[in-house]
Amino acid sequence: LIIREILKVTDWAIFAYFVALNSGYLVLICMAGLEFGKHLRRAPFAGADDMFRSPLTLPVSVIVPAYNEGAGIVAALQAMTALRYPRYEIVVVDDGSTDDTFERLREQFDLVEVPRVVPGEVPYRTQVLSVHVARGNPETLTVVRKTNGGKSDALNVGINLARHPLVCMVDADSVLDPDALLSVAKPFGDDPLRVAACGGVVRIANGCKVIGGRVVDVRMPRQWLVRVQVVEYLRAFLMGRTGWSRLGGLVVISGAFGIFRRDLVVKIGGMAHDTIGEDAELVVRLHHYLRERREDYRVIFVAEPVSWSEAPSSLRVLGRQRRRWHRGIAEILRKHRRMIGNPRYGRIGLVALPYYVVFELLAPFIELAALVLLPLGLWIDAVNLEFAWRFALVAYGYGLLVSLVSLFIEEVSFHRYPRWSDLVRGVLAAVLENFGYRQILAAWQVTGAAGAWGGRQAIWGTMHRQGFDTAESLPLETAGRR
Amino acid sequence: MLRVFTVTIVVLIAIVALTGLGIVAVRLVRQARQRKRALLAAGPRRALLAFVADNGADGGHDLVALPDEAWQAAEAGALGLLGKLRGEAHAALVSVFLRRGTARAALRDLRSRSRVRRARAAQVLGDLEVRLAVPELCRLLTDRHGEVRVVAVRALGRIGDPTAAWRLIASLDQSDPLPSLLVTHTLAQLGPETEVTLSAALDHPEARVRAVCLDALGLLGAAGSVHRVARVLREDSTLDVRIAAAANLGRLGARTAIEPLTGAVGPGRPAPLRAAAARALGDLGTSAGVPALVALLGDDEYRVAHEAAHALRRLGRPGLDALRSVLDTEAAEMIAAGRGTHARPSSAAGHALEALSLASVGPDPGASPPGSGTLDELVAG
Repeated sequence: LIIREILKVTDWAIFAYFVALNSGYLVLICMAGLEFGKHLRRAPFAGADDMFRSPLTLPVSVIVPAYNEGAGIVAALQAMTALRYPRYEIVVVDDGSTDDTFERLREQFDLVEVPRVVPGEVPYRTQVLSVHVARGNPETLTVVRKTNGGKSDALNVGINLARHPLVCMVDADSVLDPDALLSVAKPFGDDPLRVAACGGVVRIANGCKVIGGRVVDVRMPRQWLVRVQVVEYLRAFLMGRTGWSRLGGLVVISGAFGIFRRDLVVKIGGMAHDTIGEDAELVVRLHHYLRERREDYRVIFVAEPVSWSEAPSSLRVLGRQRRRWHRGIAEILRKHRRMIGNPRYGRIGLVALPYYVVFELLAPFIELAALVLLPLGLWIDAVNLEFAWRFALVAYGYGLLVSLVSLFIEEVSFHRYPRWSDLVRGVLAAVLENFGYRQILAAWQVTGAAGAWGGRQAIWGTMHRQGFDTAESLPLETAGRR
Repeated sequence: MLRVFTVTIVVLIAIVALTGLGIVAVRLVRQARQRKRALLAAGPRRALLAFVADNGADGGHDLVALPDEAWQAAEAGALGLLGKLRGEAHAALVSVFLRRGTARAALRDLRSRSRVRRARAAQVLGDLEVRLAVPELCRLLTDRHGEVRVVAVRALGRIGDPTAAWRLIASLDQSDPLPSLLVTHTLAQLGPETEVTLSAALDHPEARVRAVCLDALGLLGAAGSVHRVARVLREDSTLDVRIAAAANLGRLGARTAIEPLTGAVGPGRPAPLRAAAARALGDLGTSAGVPALVALLGDDEYRVAHEAAHALRRLGRPGLDALRSVLDTEAAEMIAAGRGTHARPSSAAGHALEALSLASVGPDPGASPPGSGTLDELVAG
């Protein structure tokens, strides 16, 4: 009888948790909707052209860590060198690639070796072998060769060699919209004394047509597994992070596209070597540093334009990615546990980080618990069937509503998917997400967090890329991150 | 309790269905609007292009006589054209707008309750360069909505009336301030008459205001303000403002800036300031800064030494000669000390080597390649 009562109470607690979780999402999405409205109203007179023409625009160092990106690196860099921005340099850090990444770069950009003093402003653990610049344009492209040391180490070498006051971290397989850099750097021009970092949106490029390093035709991917991720990216990344930005509690800026004040990154010691979620960890550490000093600062997120990236199209690779992401969250929250609930850290300590503990870190555990306890409750007659199916329908129905509201706001604001068929696929993906995808995701996330707590060695694994639908030779079979 | 669940499910199904329908409706309405707009704008757009191609000699009456709906569909394109045109074509197109009563309507809309209308009106008045609107646009600098304030600033820049300078500066010091870059650009657009106002605002208590005024003075090339800017460089309490002062002294390019900049690179100053001052010494473009920059090549702070080396590179021949001289001296000392020429260079020589190498691979090489990182090629050469 006691077990029955406990199960009953637990089931109700789980139900309350799901309602709170989805309500939290809904609040963030509504915040994002308000922010998009503001953004779109301001867009015609936001002054992007003034910024492009102004000699005062802060120059940017774009840091591109690359490991075995030979198949796509040339096209990616050609696109990056054509970005619309008045003054920027690209620093490619070849992190000990075993393929022809460097040879392709040398051939395409006529690289010539130069002696460079590599400062140790932020720590790196490996050896810089050589530094090269493009013969015709030494100010714009620098390629560093180093021994393999992981993404954080490569980024730290890039930060050391960056010459400009802003550093933008971009993945080597990303395709940036032409105005993407202008957009993420604009907040630094608008409020130069307060803006510390700015994140950009990462969208899924699978299925899109890419010509000359530009996404020219946005389409839904062919596989349902990736379509579900499109909806998930919209809800969690585009809407979620925009909402957090509006609330002043943004703690995650994607490593695939984010821009930071270099002096602040140097002051806090660059990328951490001891976590696999180095991008989010950097932002949390930045908050920690600035809040400790009671600085007036802002970490913000811009929703348009975007960086396009390829999403995993197989369960194996997706599983590895999600285990890694969740492991990253667990590591960061453990590392910065003193900030959680601490009023000294303002909204970050009192709202954002507790939210991440309760609704990000613990969510897969609760989801799996529900999957076990509800049938168990049915079996031992603690809950009846009528309750069980209604419980499941409300919990997942609310989740579906949250996804649909995301699609609605996307349709009102950016409407990036112009085809009716893509719209239908998006809605169907939002429904299908609840049948199998969320449950398997929860299992991966639980193992990721357990890996962090158990102290197991983190592994990046290999991302076998399918490539984009392109008239030219963008990545076809790139073996990416470690 | 089951009843509550059932009701919740019904409500959820209804909201989900409504959201789905909403998505479809939004798309249908947008597509219909786009089609209608394209249809309406096609004719006026052709007439507009023919009009400006003809420098406004012919077709003005037809444009004035267009029905309001058709003109509205093409108006965004016409306003876009205004920014790209100069001379007679610009004046002719402005005249079309004025004859259609656009400026009058925009002036009225500056007091509209809708912020979108106010912003759009400010934009139109700026595009049409209506000087009469300056006082009203200045009033909008304190509008409660940020987007309206932003457009008002840009419009004032287009009109270019220097009397707006002090209002623009004041608008930076409010709880939700205007974008710094935008105000800087606008202040510079107001022309050299604003120099006195900007110079006076360097004593403003708000650091952000001082930084913006420094940048605007730099953009204007206000050489008469060098002493005031130099004072900010020496005395300001905010590091970022001092850094802005250093950068703008470099931009002003006056010889009188050498002394304050040389003072700013001295030991004991914060490293970011010293680095900015070193860079500015290079921007000045005069060989008088060479000795101070050479002395910084061996600085313990990487950023200071790096900026000094590259400032010397940008100075051209005198800077490159100084860099070579650093390498020569070090090579001679190495030989005299019997340490051989394969020894790793000192920090100063390393930075000099780097700058010379970059100078040799640029599109217009100013130096011969100095070697690969040790002093052996240099000595052998």
